Amino acid sequence: MRERIAIQDIAKKEEQLVKITLEDLIKLPPPYDKPGMEPNVTEPKPEWNQNYVTELDGYVAIDIPWKPKNKEEEEAMVQKFINGLKKLMDKEANWTFLQPLLLSLEYCARCQTCSDACHVYISSGRKEIYRPTYRAEILRRLIKKISSGGNFKTKFLGDVDLNAKTILRLAECAYRCNICRRCAQYCPLGLDNGLITREIRKLFAQEFGVAPQALHAQGTVKHLTTGSSTGLTPDGLKDMIEFFEEEIKEKTGKNIKIPVDEKGSDILLIHNAGEFLSWPENVEAFAIIFEEAGLDWTLSSEMVGYDAVNYGVWYDDVQLSRIALKHAEIARKLDVNRIVVGECGHAHKAITVVADRVLVGEYQIPRESCLPILWDIVRTKKLNLDPNKNDFPVTLHDPCNVVRLMGIVEPQRKILKEICPKFREMKPNGVYNYCCGGGSGFAIMTSMNFPEFRNKVSSRMKFKQILDAFQDNISPEVKKYVCAPCSNCKGAIRDILSHYNATANCGIHYGGLVELIVNAMVDIEQPYIEMF
Amino acid sequence: MLNFLIYIAVAIFVLVLLAKFVKYSTMPIHLRWEIYPVPHDPGHEHGGSYYEGVSWWAKPRLKTLAGELKEMLMEMLFIKRVFTYKRPLWWLTYPFHTGIYLILVWFVLLFISALIDIFAIGILKMPVYYLTLVVGSIAIILLLIFSLALFIRRVSDWELRSYSSFLDYFNLIFIFAVVLTGALAWQKDFDFTIAKDYMKALITFSSPPTVSLETQIHIALLSLLLIYLPFTKMTHFLTKWFTYHKILWEDEPVIGSEMEEKLKKYLTGFKVKWSAPHVDPNLNWAEEASRCDLAGKCEVKL
Ligand code: SF4
Ligand code: SF4
Repeated sequence: MRERIAIQDIAKKEEQLVKITLEDLIKLPPPYDKPGMEPNVTEPKPEWNQNYVTELDGYVAIDIPWKPKNKEEEEAMVQKFINGLKKLMDKEANWTFLQPLLLSLEYCARCQTCSDACHVYISSGRKEIYRPTYRAEILRRLIKKISSGGNFKTKFLGDVDLNAKTILRLAECAYRCNICRRCAQYCPLGLDNGLITREIRKLFAQEFGVAPQALHAQGTVKHLTTGSSTGLTPDGLKDMIEFFEEEIKEKTGKNIKIPVDEKGSDILLIHNAGEFLSWPENVEAFAIIFEEAGLDWTLSSEMVGYDAVNYGVWYDDVQLSRIALKHAEIARKLDVNRIVVGECGHAHKAITVVADRVLVGEYQIPRESCLPILWDIVRTKKLNLDPNKNDFPVTLHDPCNVVRLMGIVEPQRKILKEICPKFREMKPNGVYNYCCGGGSGFAIMTSMNFPEFRNKVSSRMKFKQILDAFQDNISPEVKKYVCAPCSNCKGAIRDILSHYNATANCGIHYGGLVELIVNAMVDIEQPYIEMF
Repeated sequence: MLNFLIYIAVAIFVLVLLAKFVKYSTMPIHLRWEIYPVPHDPGHEHGGSYYEGVSWWAKPRLKTLAGELKEMLMEMLFIKRVFTYKRPLWWLTYPFHTGIYLILVWFVLLFISALIDIFAIGILKMPVYYLTLVVGSIAIILLLIFSLALFIRRVSDWELRSYSSFLDYFNLIFIFAVVLTGALAWQKDFDFTIAKDYMKALITFSSPPTVSLETQIHIALLSLLLIYLPFTKMTHFLTKWFTYHKILWEDEPVIGSEMEEKLKKYLTGFKVKWSAPHVDPNLNWAEEASRCDLAGKCEVKL
């Protein structure tokens, strides 16, 4: 059922604003068009409501107890929120995004053209609270209210009450958008509701210290204090490197020494540290390719330097700057010519694009993506590759951060066209792709029932696209591969495949790009990619 | 009196727009936040950027002005995004915007006809006369129908209504009122001769011809609209320039640019001000980013 949620309801309604049901979600292609093929939605545990905000849609992204306990705490929360709003509008406190924010707030024609762009909104069955303009409209009204002193003018500009309910729901709602910014491509006025989502998150993070633990306490803070958001320490890394070298030897027969902390190298390669723990074959494939191609490269074992992630890009400008600066500092000390980012989308965008303007002077070290380098290696035939070794259907997921938000579209496709004879595109693709549903932190947010929201709603469109791309060969006997050159996208896709049991039902597997390159190498006998 | 109002209205319109332009152009350079395709990139056909090549910083950066112009014109002249993504609305909004463009053209034509009269350039008189007649008539009809149609759609479509404020309706009604009085005035001046004479009077600062009551009301309302408009979001024709050129298509890297001095000023001169536990509000951005002992042990200095 499509509830008619009015803007005012965020401040008024006591009960949960919307409820996700299987009937409302967009339909999936075969074999998921039959009932009983996917798990049902669950109810939030009643006790969660004590500490966490279940009043939006029953899902909890912000997994820290921050509900006010009494009237005084509520008033303090409102006051703090007002302070935050003022800082968002302040030239010093928000120089980083003031101009885009003001433009997006001031000029929306409320034409709703952007709504049809949003996979979260569409997949949910068009639930109002996920509409790109919903949270934007609330922020817009609250800012107008504050700046006009709450006088009669707000009646003309559209009003919304400012109370604890509004604040709590708005914060949760800021974590129902992947900040994929597909909606901004649709807007005739060039406005950006994804940016507004991030600004709302910033307000809560930078003023309240409130953000999902996976992003803040266990994310950027852990990254800066232990060296990696995975908790991997420099010593732990060194042990792993040895293990990787042994594993490469075992799998490929190659003796490869992975260079670490080699001063004066040409390239500092930084991986998402999640790869070390969850997908070591990706790190190993990079080592094989870079060594075989004769690149002069190194990894860093310094704290922060072996983890390319920068979760600040999703919710906090201060943390964004700290991590980016730290990365640049490590590269400077290692005296490398350039930083190359491995298969991690948000790290690509954070260090090359978004944080570019916080790196000045000696910290302005060139940074680039691994994808053009890999294409160069394949194109110039530095490796002996046999495409027939990748003789299974392959489709490509475009990570938003690399493609729509950085313009790297062709290198990865050219590689796949060269080495995967059964490559096919998803639709839409390239810069008009859909997010995997794991964007802006969702892939790593696993508290309480949040993964259910991701799998059912934000990743649903991607699952549909994957199934559509393989419809010609959907039976589980045919092994198929979704290539996702991004750690977080891989994480989200791994979870989709498991939630919908798609590996067993449809024979769908997933992995990165470098694995496919190594799998095609003629001198490696065993298949590098294992699909079972 | 009416003349005076027109001069004031035009002056306010121009000045406030100018002030808006200055306001947005003097804001600090923001962090990069572009979206592809960026039409001045030679790879824009597939949405590509200079990051698609190895060692991008070592190569000259190519830009195609033609790509950007084409995209701009498609959006300005055809409202391409609404056409592609929200066709039902396009059928209403496109004729409406075409009406606005035509009415602007009509004003220019009136201005030219007035000059033709003043300087007695006989040869141009008839072509411009007919052009003014055609353009003006189409514009009035389009605006009359489609400002009302947009209003009706905004009221009747829940998707639009629930987000609209009083001002959204008021703006459309205001425009409709201006056009309606204009259409009534037109009935008394079917070939726009009086309008042209009025324009002549405005240019030469002389006393205007006597006009009907409808025309007087129309002129007064139009002047009020001119005064009101720059304060509203209807100035999106101006701010669109910023959203596209200065944000979505702005892909200037620091390497090789001249923005570094400005950035250094922001980083060392601007206070962070935020008050979450991991932030020290009294530090500037450079100190905050480098002395991050509140969250970690960064030793870097800027
Ligand atoms: S940024 Fe993406 S997820 Fe967020 S509202 Fe826009 S389209 Fe939807
Ligand atoms: S498309 Fe742009 S102007 Fe229209 S509602 Fe969305 S953000 Fe506002």
